[in-house]
Amino acid sequence: MDLHHVHQTARRGVHLSHQILAFKVSFESYRYLFEFADFGKYFLNSLFVSISASFVSTIIALFSGYVLARMHFRGKTFLVIFLFFVQMIPAYLLMIPQYSMFSSFDLINRLTGIILVYIGLGAAFSTIMARGFFVRIPVSLEESALMDGCTRLKALFKVTLPLMLPGVAAIFSFSFVQNWNEIFTAALFLNSDSKMTVPVALYSFISKAGIQWNVLAAGIVVSLIPTIFVFAFAQKYIVAGLTKGSVKE
Amino acid sequence: MLVPVFSVVGFLSLYPTIKGFILAFQNYTVFTINRIRFIGWDNFEEIITDMDFLMILWNTVVWIAVSVFFQLLLGLGLALLLRKPFKGRGLYSGLVFYPWALSGFAIGLLWSWLLNGQFGIINDVLMKLNFIEEGIQFLSNPDTAMLSVLIVNIWYGIPFFAIMCLAALQSIPDSVYEAADIDGANGWAKLVKITLPYIRPTIISTVLVRSIWIMNFPDVIYGMTRGGPAKSTEILSTYMINIVYYENDYSKASAVGVLVILLLLVYTILYLSFSKGGEVEI
Repeated sequence: MDLHHVHQTARRGVHLSHQILAFKVSFESYRYLFEFADFGKYFLNSLFVSISASFVSTIIALFSGYVLARMHFRGKTFLVIFLFFVQMIPAYLLMIPQYSMFSSFDLINRLTGIILVYIGLGAAFSTIMARGFFVRIPVSLEESALMDGCTRLKALFKVTLPLMLPGVAAIFSFSFVQNWNEIFTAALFLNSDSKMTVPVALYSFISKAGIQWNVLAAGIVVSLIPTIFVFAFAQKYIVAGLTKGSVKE
Repeated sequence: MLVPVFSVVGFLSLYPTIKGFILAFQNYTVFTINRIRFIGWDNFEEIITDMDFLMILWNTVVWIAVSVFFQLLLGLGLALLLRKPFKGRGLYSGLVFYPWALSGFAIGLLWSWLLNGQFGIINDVLMKLNFIEEGIQFLSNPDTAMLSVLIVNIWYGIPFFAIMCLAALQSIPDSVYEAADIDGANGWAKLVKITLPYIRPTIISTVLVRSIWIMNFPDVIYGMTRGGPAKSTEILSTYMINIVYYENDYSKASAVGVLVILLLLVYTILYLSFSKGGEVEI
């Protein structure tokens, strides 16, 4: 082995150690993210907002979806079509009037305010989804429970609701993903440092002069983790909800 | 039991929509909060006489048409591949559907980083492979910016079409294909004569819902370019958001919103009358 080779191997070694070093530095940006950029706070804000809003809109949807699937009354079709159109209205078109409404109730820059907005955005589609799931549970099951002397409410809780669990999973996860990912209303409503949700924080990273790409990239990765988990857990329910949940009777 | 959903929808969707129409004719900005009054059609006039307005409209049309076309094509292709059971299909389709769960904005940011002209990974790889001498400014060059955001958006939206088409494909009874086999139909004939007619209603309704959705989907663009450079990727929705964030002119933004709603109504009516209905399902 001549000197030249040794030199090259040594250089390669140095190069390799550089790469390993670069790998360490990338963990450094995660540390920076949580220690200096306070990302943990935004993450908890996001979790709190998304879970609360999804929880409430799932409950609302279970009630209304049940009625729209089981009861027969005049104007039902109209109500369903109405909900269908309402759920098509995108968040960004509503954010200004909502901003002006919410400022008079002092709900700007409060997590409660953004939770309310998300309940409003999710309720209509969650109801359509819930109705679709209820429609597919045979009425005969409830009827036989009623014949056996169950009250209507008891039949609902003991017979229908357990069969509805995949539907609940679908509605909740779908709405969680939507809420977790919403940015435009949140960025308008939540402007103080302590109230930001994850997407707003990412947005503030890029609007500040001189983006630190490594920190931003770490933030993006962390921001994707919850929905990846939720999707892994609920994928088949969500797919069922999207495709069959809203088909006409 | 219907009271909660309709009060929520009434207060948080319906009322704001109506209020949006009213705001569009007022002068509500950050600086005039105490002096809000009606100013007629001024906001609309300002938008329509904006030098860039025609370009923004054109960008919106391109954004919708190109995205929907390729998402449908690739989504349908994917659904056809995933229709028959094979080993690992569950895992594979799980991975394929994943983009749906990811934030469009975060994905946009991620791609803007990958495509960065100076230190983006894609340029780095292209340079190491000696395909190019110096970094391509994908997103800061108006000529390539639209193409870049379109490609990302197409990739991002494929799962939705694939999910819808797959569900429709699985509802086709096997007996139809068996009968075709007996008659000696080849693969192409089966696709054109059986599969496509069967899933036509799904395709029609999915294209309608998706084109509306894509028009109202500024997330990917906002993560990648925020409508720039020189408004080359500005569509109506990013235009409206930029007016809110940077001009703080809420009434002008509301007027853009009104235009969006009117365009969507016209589009939906035209689409449904040309496609002869087709059951509207989601």
